[in-house]
Amino acid sequence: MSTALSSTEVRAGWFPVSGVRDAFQDLTALLRFRSAGLDAKGRRRLRTAGLVVLLCTVAAAVVPAVSPGAGTGEDVGRLVAIMPSIYLGFLVLAVVSAAASGGGREIVPRDQAVAWPVSSMTDHFGALLLAPLNIAWLLQAWTLLGTTAYVTGRPANLWATELPVLLYLALATALGQVVAWLLEWVRRGPHGVVVVRALLGTVSVALVALVVTNHLTDVLDQSPTVRIFVIALNGSVLSWGPWIVGSAWLLVLAAGCVLLGAVPARLAAGRAPREEHRLESGIHEPRPDALGDLRALVRVDRVGIWRSLPLRRGLVVLALMPGLIAFGGQLGWDRLTILPGLVASGAALLFGVNTWCLDGRGALWRESLPVAPALTFGSRVWVLTEVLLGAALVTVLLSTVRAGVPTLPELVALFFATLVVAAQVVSASMRWSVRRPFSVDMRSARATPAPPVVMVGYSTRLALSTTFVGLMFSGLGETDQWLLTALVGLLLVLISGYRVARTASRWEDPAARARVAVTVAG
Amino acid sequence: MHPDSLISAVATGSPGGAPLGDAPPAVVDIRGLHVRFGSVDAVRGIDVSARAGEGTALLGRNGAGKSTTMRVLAGVVPPTEGVVRVSGLDVRRDLLAVKRVVGYCPDVGGLVPRATPWEHLQLSARLRRMSDWEPRARDLIERFDLGEAAHRVTSGFSHGMGRRLSVALAAFHEPEVLLLDEPFDGVDPLGVSATLDVIGEARARGAAVLVSTHLRELAIQACSTALVLRGGSAVARLDARELAGEEGADVYRALLD
Repeated sequence: MSTALSSTEVRAGWFPVSGVRDAFQDLTALLRFRSAGLDAKGRRRLRTAGLVVLLCTVAAAVVPAVSPGAGTGEDVGRLVAIMPSIYLGFLVLAVVSAAASGGGREIVPRDQAVAWPVSSMTDHFGALLLAPLNIAWLLQAWTLLGTTAYVTGRPANLWATELPVLLYLALATALGQVVAWLLEWVRRGPHGVVVVRALLGTVSVALVALVVTNHLTDVLDQSPTVRIFVIALNGSVLSWGPWIVGSAWLLVLAAGCVLLGAVPARLAAGRAPREEHRLESGIHEPRPDALGDLRALVRVDRVGIWRSLPLRRGLVVLALMPGLIAFGGQLGWDRLTILPGLVASGAALLFGVNTWCLDGRGALWRESLPVAPALTFGSRVWVLTEVLLGAALVTVLLSTVRAGVPTLPELVALFFATLVVAAQVVSASMRWSVRRPFSVDMRSARATPAPPVVMVGYSTRLALSTTFVGLMFSGLGETDQWLLTALVGLLLVLISGYRVARTASRWEDPAARARVAVTVAG
Repeated sequence: MHPDSLISAVATGSPGGAPLGDAPPAVVDIRGLHVRFGSVDAVRGIDVSARAGEGTALLGRNGAGKSTTMRVLAGVVPPTEGVVRVSGLDVRRDLLAVKRVVGYCPDVGGLVPRATPWEHLQLSARLRRMSDWEPRARDLIERFDLGEAAHRVTSGFSHGMGRRLSVALAAFHEPEVLLLDEPFDGVDPLGVSATLDVIGEARARGAAVLVSTHLRELAIQACSTALVLRGGSAVARLDARELAGEEGADVYRALLD
């Protein structure tokens, strides 16, 4: 977004409460502008996706409450003990998501938004609106609603139980946005990158210290989110007094955070994105000539990733976060098979689902180079695979530190789970990249490789398939049939390889390549 | 020359409508080119020919089909119909060979955002099998005044810098056909001068040069022939000098309407 003051801001002053209405109007206009770009099919897809999300949300809130054992099962006590931690986990996710993307997603990409005086408050509201369009956010939210419904187990009072949870989702998202804008403001200031890294380092060291000294549980037990859970419990037993007061507080805090976020958003917008500028103005010493065509192509494809701020930052967060959580939670080998899929999907969502966007406006020039299409395609597959496997490997290594000694079947299951999800995600990413390219400017830390709604579709599909694979290998790891696990793994890798080959043959068609190059070049 | 007689000259492929006689064979030979994107006809039956050492300016309003024609010649967009030959090679059958003999400066960007100019040149040299390419690369980088930016990523470049580098990349391997799409757009006078020099050198060594531009006076300076396109079709082929001055401007305007 533009860092210039908009007409709205000039009128509104330092804390532009009076500009809230204008910002909402601007946001409505921008949303209309974006939806005008959708054709009939796109609108139909959007409506269907909205309906599916709504139905899933209702199902997540209702089904666990009427499930066998709801409120009375043996596992309810254990779940109650960790409910505040689950609530806290959602807040951490909201902060990390928004902070990793430099303040959240843009309602209109930066290169398009320069044409209009979009205020930082509008930008902030837009980022808040887009925050739930993220499969990690949705899954966590559904988990929160479902677990709360299950442990309370009172379907008749469900609305009163879930309302505080919904308010908490809003509060955590808005609070995450406030923290993210503050971090972005600091990051853009003098020595900002060092300050933020030092801060993250301190938090990480503190967490590791808590884990190593076995104090993490004590700290989590003191989490203020226990009060949120208590408000939900008040609702489930119809204890109206505390419920009304608690819910009202949540509402006030959520609204306050929504408004408060406009201040750091404005402060951050007033500072230039130093890290992005540093990457663009830095000197990159030339390297010796590559020894082959493929190596030369791979080298250029790699710089597209590692010299891009959002991709570099996103990959580091993805590689470390799940691994650290697994490290802290001391996950067993049976559960580790889920992690590679999570990381590989997340890494693909950074750029892989529209992988030709790395060429940006250079796509036309690259397509004019005398090189076999198969080699160009192969280079992109190679780079995508190494990034996904590299990130997944870091996560796996971190998570195995405290997982104990594995059995052979568990080790084989984790190995093949990692390999299969990487192959699956590469296959899907290359297929989508060829079939549905988008023109995006990936310079901004807030950019996504496809429009937000499309990203939800991609992330849902990736999450479903990789979670299924993770669970399947988790089950296989529990058996003694490690050879069977290996055979199933090989078969699935071969299927993905076949699908990649099929996409590669589509890429041989000059018309398909032309469509991609012309679209990506904008 | 009256616009009506110019339109009739298109059919003969020769300025003034004169027969081509014993002229050398065309390096660029396009006959009946059609390019469709879905239901949109970007190019509707264009014929273009350019001989070795000849400079041809493609002129016309936005959407006339200039850039699409360039993209077809560069092997980036396949033709929907028609015959397109570059140095005797068919773009449908010998796509890779065509790409080897062509140097292309696209109209939009044309640069990989996070690669440096040197890395662009290095990749081009590798894929075109150029040995001892560094002196030529250094020469072009200096001539286009990109020395200080040679090892910086191109996403931080100004528009003019990007255009200059794009022209340098197109001319780097001394192609038989040099395709420059809007090479002067947003470029400072020194950059324009360097671009004109590159075009002059390419023509002198026998390359066919096609330049698409809206800057009529620069087109006249760079090229000997002008082809005016309108609505995806060629409406006139004439000597570039006929477009010079006020009278030439009137002729050009009449062809655009």
